[in-house]
Amino acid sequence: MHGDMHGAEVLVVEQWSRREDERLLTGEGRYVADMDVPGCLDAVFVRSDVAHGTLREVDCSAAYEVPGVVGAWSAADLSEMPPCAQSAATLQDLPPVPYVLLAQLSTEEAVAGREWPVLVRDRVRYPGEALVVVLGEDRYRAEDGAAKVTFRIDPLPAVVTPSTAADDSVRLFDGLSNVALRGETGEPIEESVWREAAVVVEARYRQQLLMPTPMECRTILAVPEGDALTVWSGHQAPHRLRRELATLLGGLVERVRVVVPDTGGAFGSKSATFPEFIAVAFLAVKLGRPVRWIEDRLESMTVASRGRGQDQRVRLAADADGRLLAYELNIDADIGAYPHLGVGLPMQTAWMATGPYATPRVHATVRSMVTNTMVTYPYRGAGRPEAAIALERSMDTLARELGMDPAELRRRNFIPPEDFPYETPTGRRYDSGNYAAALDLALETLDYDGWRAERARRRTDPDALPLGIGLSCYVERSGGEPGGLHEFASVEAHEDGTLTARCGTASSGQSHETVFPALVAETLGVDGTLVRLVEGDTGEQPEGVGSFASRSAQVGGAALREAATLLVEEARARAAALWEVPEAEVAWSGGTVHPVHGGHGGHGGAAAMDLAELVKTTGPMRVGGRFESGMAFPFGAHAAVAEVDPELGTVRVLRLVAVDDCGVVLDPAMVHGQAFGSAVQGIGQALYEGIPFGENGVPLLAEGLLDYLLPTFAEIPPIEIRDTRTPSPSTPLGAKGAGESGCIGTPAAIVNAVADALRVADPCLLQMPLTPDVVWRAARAPKFGEVGQAGEFGKTGEFGEAGEFGKAGEFGKAGKFGEAGEAGEAGEGGR
Amino acid sequence: MRITVTVNGEERALDVEPRRVLADVLREDCRLTGTHLGCEHGVCGACTVLVDGEAVRSCLVLAVQCDGASVRTVEGLSGPGGEPHPLQRAFSAEHALQCGFCTPGFLMVAAGALEADPSAGDDPERVAALVGSNICRCTGYEPIRRAIARAASEWPRTPS
Repeated sequence: MHGDMHGAEVLVVEQWSRREDERLLTGEGRYVADMDVPGCLDAVFVRSDVAHGTLREVDCSAAYEVPGVVGAWSAADLSEMPPCAQSAATLQDLPPVPYVLLAQLSTEEAVAGREWPVLVRDRVRYPGEALVVVLGEDRYRAEDGAAKVTFRIDPLPAVVTPSTAADDSVRLFDGLSNVALRGETGEPIEESVWREAAVVVEARYRQQLLMPTPMECRTILAVPEGDALTVWSGHQAPHRLRRELATLLGGLVERVRVVVPDTGGAFGSKSATFPEFIAVAFLAVKLGRPVRWIEDRLESMTVASRGRGQDQRVRLAADADGRLLAYELNIDADIGAYPHLGVGLPMQTAWMATGPYATPRVHATVRSMVTNTMVTYPYRGAGRPEAAIALERSMDTLARELGMDPAELRRRNFIPPEDFPYETPTGRRYDSGNYAAALDLALETLDYDGWRAERARRRTDPDALPLGIGLSCYVERSGGEPGGLHEFASVEAHEDGTLTARCGTASSGQSHETVFPALVAETLGVDGTLVRLVEGDTGEQPEGVGSFASRSAQVGGAALREAATLLVEEARARAAALWEVPEAEVAWSGGTVHPVHGGHGGHGGAAAMDLAELVKTTGPMRVGGRFESGMAFPFGAHAAVAEVDPELGTVRVLRLVAVDDCGVVLDPAMVHGQAFGSAVQGIGQALYEGIPFGENGVPLLAEGLLDYLLPTFAEIPPIEIRDTRTPSPSTPLGAKGAGESGCIGTPAAIVNAVADALRVADPCLLQMPLTPDVVWRAARAPKFGEVGQAGEFGKTGEFGEAGEFGKAGEFGKAGKFGEAGEAGEAGEGGR
Repeated sequence: MRITVTVNGEERALDVEPRRVLADVLREDCRLTGTHLGCEHGVCGACTVLVDGEAVRSCLVLAVQCDGASVRTVEGLSGPGGEPHPLQRAFSAEHALQCGFCTPGFLMVAAGALEADPSAGDDPERVAALVGSNICRCTGYEPIRRAIARAASEWPRTPS
């Protein structure tokens, strides 16, 4: 088992667009579940069937009678195991789940007193939380054993929304508030600003919980060998996984190797050290046997991390000319049962609250609440969609109230290109942008005027279905946060003339094997087929940060470019020493060093020497290190046209245009592909995806992917992806992150289009996903202009006061819909 | 239970528990791991294989039901000597895969339809139905649609 499965041979790539393609198209890809390790045990978890409760009893004994079951352990059983024989670890009890300080996703303060045990000790806090781990000779036997485990849980009332968690009437952690973190950005805005503004839009938005749903669920295979432990996992941050596992197992980091083979998608959801991973690694070390956990879909739908999960309240003020005066965003975030992975994630939304506008006053507040749901964690967009959707929905409402073209309203308020770098009131320093150019291209591509004419026509035609146009301009952040803006990379030249590039990133479908060698080859001026990439292997590349936050091209790519540049310098220095000439006398071109003057025969016989010969003559050559990059702020403008059937409540997106700007593009086809796929995920949030909860707080997902509706081809409208390219001055390649744009920009464009089609007076009636139920009800609500000023709607109630939701419509239905049935009738829409 | 299944043209005598699904037997017993399990309840289609030429969710079929049948997996798509199948070439050319996990299922759904009737690829509605039968989370499907249409246009149409 070595990390060189990605092909050490010089690649024949002509008939394949990407180096990854041949193996993935012929069944030769290797994902964790494909690995054949003799004697490997399969882990299966017995899980809680309630959302919140007290564990009274667990009995694993019957599982041991099942043929092929090696063992079954509760938390108590694992603290009573005999000390471990393996010297790599000094294992005592099963360690708890670690928390993530990276990007301020969690904080010491938030996790204090809120331990997350790998297996439930006494309190169940989310549905599906693991009670027992069963190991079997194969998956069938392990599941046979799991079926024999008995347990008893006394249920407690469950809280599954931030609004119900906030009042602490049910506490997840005894003696501690459910509010696990409070934060803010910007300065509080004086009441006089709102009072004196010509127009103030107030609204509430629900950013529903989403399931990232990579096609491959989570995987881990832990193989102990002597004092060492090799871990294979479909993962975005192998070095972090290695460090955390080594720490938890009480062993040395050097003895743990993490390898990421082919990974079937991640979208942010595969970068943590999950409870199940710890149980598997712990038992592999304890038993001295290979153990794997291949999560299945129903398990993933129950206990994999969620994305989004915010209840938002906004106020947006403008003068009569449409100049923005102030924007306020209050976030009540649902962070799930434990604060370890994402208690600080909503701060991303607060930091990005300013959006692309030169609003003088912006203030955002965050309350992160623990609830009886699986934890929230980054999912493609990770905090930026929530910021963009809230602001962009408000902008379209504001335009309607001002009687102004929403495009013109935006143009009037964009931060102009000459104002970059731009310090936002919410603590970001935008690197570069030309927001108007992106919007103009989007409108032109859409045929904005043509669709406006069609919309006008339909409004006078009683037989026509209403049609709406929605815009959404966004700015996001890529690369990560300070402290994580670096990456490790190296380039090694071999005696046969080939080169190996190593990087601390890990691909889960982003074509790194194709893009990165091309980048290195271009820097060196050599043929791309000579360069291969090794990544996602801590044995090959001991330090690394990983692939998340759209950082691989921006940060990892820059690191590789710099490593390649260092290799050129090293080659020139060696040639200079060899030829006994000053370095300035040695030039590099096309993979060859040669004297600046004379060429063949000059300088005491020195001739041009290619890299292979230089390595043969002077010894192994591998250069690299740690390279720092900057944050970048990609942006774009999305526009959607949607037709609504008010009788059926159905939405048909007729056209979607996404203009994205991620600075310098390394590989247009790859960026285009990711932008397209991302837009489709954005459509999923806008129209289809949501988790219905039962009264008891358990998700109603018995039919799996027939209950949680991912977009299929039948739901894909005509989508056009275009780009503008504004280089980033803060990153060495000028590249900004790509691939999250659709999740960020698309949802608001679609919701705005539906709101425009229905001309609904209270936009809060349209909460995502816009299912036929939601749309049908909104279609029957008062239209804009029918009930005085729409702005008054926002003033009818304070977000967070449960009773008000019912009055405002069926908000609860759209929030944790299904959980309270008809939230409006129940009068507690938040519950 | 002893069964005989022809897998990618090779006859295999297998001794399998009756409860084992075809996907597990292909992956674990035959070590043909190109067939992927994405949902295990018949929705996503990643595990699609051809059983006697028909596209089948191999997570919903018991291996014993395939006794005497001929099964074709993604490993059996390439021609003799490893010549890529038109669908494999087209998927690469159209960037119809990113992470590649769902890809074998889409390839087999399309292969089953086009091999039964190459003209299926000329009809946009039939192509749409093929693409709409499986789930992909990376590409947004449009490249997969283009790839199937492209493969169909390059399909050898002479009767064999």
